[in-house]
Amino acid sequence: MKIDKKEKAVVVIGSGPGGAQVAYQLTKQGIPVVLLEAGRRIMKEEYVNEEWPAFSQMAWLDKRTMSGNARIVQDFNGLPTWLVKAVGGTATHWAGATPRFLDYEWKTKSTYGSVDGATLMDWPIDGKEMKPYYVKAEDAIGSTHRGGRPPLPANNNYKVFAEGAKRNGYKFYATGPYGTNAAPYDGRPASIQDGFNFQGDKNGSKWNPNVSEIPKALATGKLELRTNSQAVQITTDSSGKADGVLYMDTKTKALHRQEAKVICVAGNSIETPRLFLMSASSRFPNGLANSSDQVGRNYMRHLTGSVYATFDKPVNFFRGETMAGFLADEVKHNPKRGFVGGYYLETLALGPSFLGAFLDPGKWGKKFADMMDGYQNMAGMWIVGEDMPQANNRITLGSAKDAFGLPAPNVHFDDHPNDTAMRNHAYEKGEAIYKAVGATQTYRVTPYPHTHNLGSMRMSAKAKDGVVDKWGRCHDVKNLFVSDGSVMTTGAACNPTLTITALAIRQGEYLADQLKKGNV
Amino acid sequence: MKITRRELLISAGSLLAYSQLGSLANAEVNIAAQPGDQEMIASMCKALYPHDRFPMSIYMDVAAGAIKKGNADTGAKISFRAGLDGLKINKFDKMNFKKQTKYLKSIANTPFFGLVRGHTVVALYDHKEVHKIFGYQGASFDKGGYKDGEYNDLSWLPEPRIEEHPDLTAFLDDSSPKKYASLKIKKTF
Repeated sequence: MKIDKKEKAVVVIGSGPGGAQVAYQLTKQGIPVVLLEAGRRIMKEEYVNEEWPAFSQMAWLDKRTMSGNARIVQDFNGLPTWLVKAVGGTATHWAGATPRFLDYEWKTKSTYGSVDGATLMDWPIDGKEMKPYYVKAEDAIGSTHRGGRPPLPANNNYKVFAEGAKRNGYKFYATGPYGTNAAPYDGRPASIQDGFNFQGDKNGSKWNPNVSEIPKALATGKLELRTNSQAVQITTDSSGKADGVLYMDTKTKALHRQEAKVICVAGNSIETPRLFLMSASSRFPNGLANSSDQVGRNYMRHLTGSVYATFDKPVNFFRGETMAGFLADEVKHNPKRGFVGGYYLETLALGPSFLGAFLDPGKWGKKFADMMDGYQNMAGMWIVGEDMPQANNRITLGSAKDAFGLPAPNVHFDDHPNDTAMRNHAYEKGEAIYKAVGATQTYRVTPYPHTHNLGSMRMSAKAKDGVVDKWGRCHDVKNLFVSDGSVMTTGAACNPTLTITALAIRQGEYLADQLKKGNV
Repeated sequence: MKITRRELLISAGSLLAYSQLGSLANAEVNIAAQPGDQEMIASMCKALYPHDRFPMSIYMDVAAGAIKKGNADTGAKISFRAGLDGLKINKFDKMNFKKQTKYLKSIANTPFFGLVRGHTVVALYDHKEVHKIFGYQGASFDKGGYKDGEYNDLSWLPEPRIEEHPDLTAFLDDSSPKKYASLKIKKTF
C-alpha cells in the first residue's frame, strides 16, 4: 500500500529481524506501516555464491571508524562488524544458529555479582516471560530440532566436530538448533546442502525476513516498504514526542520527511544509537532519549574467535550447511573456569577466499601458507560466548564524515579480562576437540568482523539506568521504540537472532494492542 | 583491504612523499612498467605466501593486480616505486627463500609492503586456480547442491549422532538465577 508522507504513520526503521518482525506483527493485525530500509531489495536469485562478490553485493560499507584495545581495531579498522545493507538486514548474511538465553542470563548482575570494569545489569524481563515468545520465534524461523522439526544431517565438518566432542566427554552436541530447513517448512524448501548461508542462500531454505516476514507483511496489503531510504534524523514536537523521520534517498541523496505517530527503530547496535545521537535538538541536547547518557554505551559484540585444524585425511569442510553443528556443554556459568558466563562452540566453514583474509590478519610466511595448503583436510569451529558490557565500549559520532556528509559512527571496543580468559579457555577446548580426532595442526583465529552486535540502547527497569523500558519503549520519548538487538541489557552466550525475533514479536503484539486501545 | 589503505594514508603524510608528489604526477609515470617488473613483484608475492603447488602464472596474475593498485593514485605510485626499486637493487628474485623472508621483514612497515601483502592475501586465495588446487569446489547450487554421499563422504570417523542428547533440555532448564548466584566467582578482574 501507499502511505502519504504527510500522514502520521507507524514508521519502522530497518528491515532486519527486529524491524521486519515488528512490521509484520503490526500489519498482520491490520495496522498500516511504513518500513524504511537503507538498502535495496536483493532477491534470492541475485545472491552470488562467491565470497568477495557477495560481500560487495550486500555488506554495509558506509564509513565507520574504530578505537580501543581489541585486536580487531588494528586488523579491520574500517569494518567493525559485518552487517548487511539490504532488505532482511544482517539476517541475509547470518548462518542460522538459534539457541535461547538461559534463565540466569536475563539476570547476570544477580547471578554473577559484581565484575570489575563490567556494567552488568539484570534485564527487566525474565526467562519465564520470554518462554512463549521463544516458541513463537522458533516457529517463525523454523528452527530445526524444535517444534517437531527434524534435524539436519551431518556434514563432514560436523563429523569431525561431533566425534572430537564425544572423545572429550562432551554430550550436548547436535546439528542444531538451526534456522535452515531440514524439511520443507513455511513455504520454503529443505536445504540442498549448498552452503553459502553467509551469502544469502540462493535456495531459500534459510530463514531471513526477506523470504518470510517481508513477503508476508506485503501480502497483508498494509505495508509500504521504502527501499534505499536511510533514516538520518528523528524529529520531535513541542511536547517532546517523536513526530517524524527525515530520511535520505540513497540514490538521489534527496531528503524526505515522513510524518509519524509511532516510530520503531531497528538499525542495529551501531546505526540505531547513531540515529539517536544525530537527532540531538535543543530539547534533547545529548541526543534523543538520552537523559540517562546511556545511548551508545555498553556496546557488545559477543566473545568470539575460531579454531581451525588440519588432519592427515580429507575433510572437505566447505560442503553442506555452514554452521549446522552445535556444542552446549561449556555454556553454563562456572566461575571455577576463571571467568563468568559461558560459551558455545559451533561448526563453521569458510572458503579459501575468506579464510586467507581471516585466518591470521596481517600474517604471512611459510607457516601461514602451510596452514592454507591444508585446506582440503581442514575442519573449523566458531566460538560464541557472553562478553562483558562496559560503559566505555560505545558508539559515538566521530569526526569523520560518511559519503553523505553525516558524522560517521566511531566504535570503541576494549576487551574485558573476562572476555580474554573465556576466549583462551574456549581455544583450549576447541583444540582438544580436534586433537582427539588426530589434528596435525591447530590454529587459533582471532575475532574478525562478524554479525553479532548487541547493546548500546540497553533495556532497564529504571530510566536512569538505560534507554528503553521492558517493551523497548524509550523511557524519555513514549512513542519511540527500539526493536533490534541494541536493547540487550546483557548479551548471554547464545547467537542473538532468535532473541531479537522473540523480543520483536512480543513488542509487536504489545504495540498493536496499545495502538488499538489508543494508548500511543 | 582496509589495512593497505590506512598504511597508504600514513605514507601520504610523510614529508618525503609530499616532496615527490608533484613531479611524479606531472610526468604521468606508470609504476612497474619495465620488462621484468611484474616477475619481480610475483617473486615477492610467492615469498610472502609460498606454495610449491602453485604455478608461477598464478603469482604473475596476483602481481598484475598489485601493480594496478600501485598505479591507482599518486600516493600509491610513489610508495610502490620506492618499494620496487628496493627489490631490484637487492636482486630480490635471485635471493634464496630465507634471505627473501629476512628482506621482507626489514620492509614490513613500509606502505609498499602493506599494499602488496594486503592485495596478495586476498587475490591469491580468491584465485580460481588456487581453489582448484586446494580442492575447493565452491558453489553447488546450479548442480542441486552437494549430494548425499558427497557433503558427508568423510569415512575415517564414525557416523555421529545428529539429534540432541536426551538430557539437553534438563541441562539448559537447570539455570535458575538463584542457584547459579550461589556459585561465587573466585577471581575478580
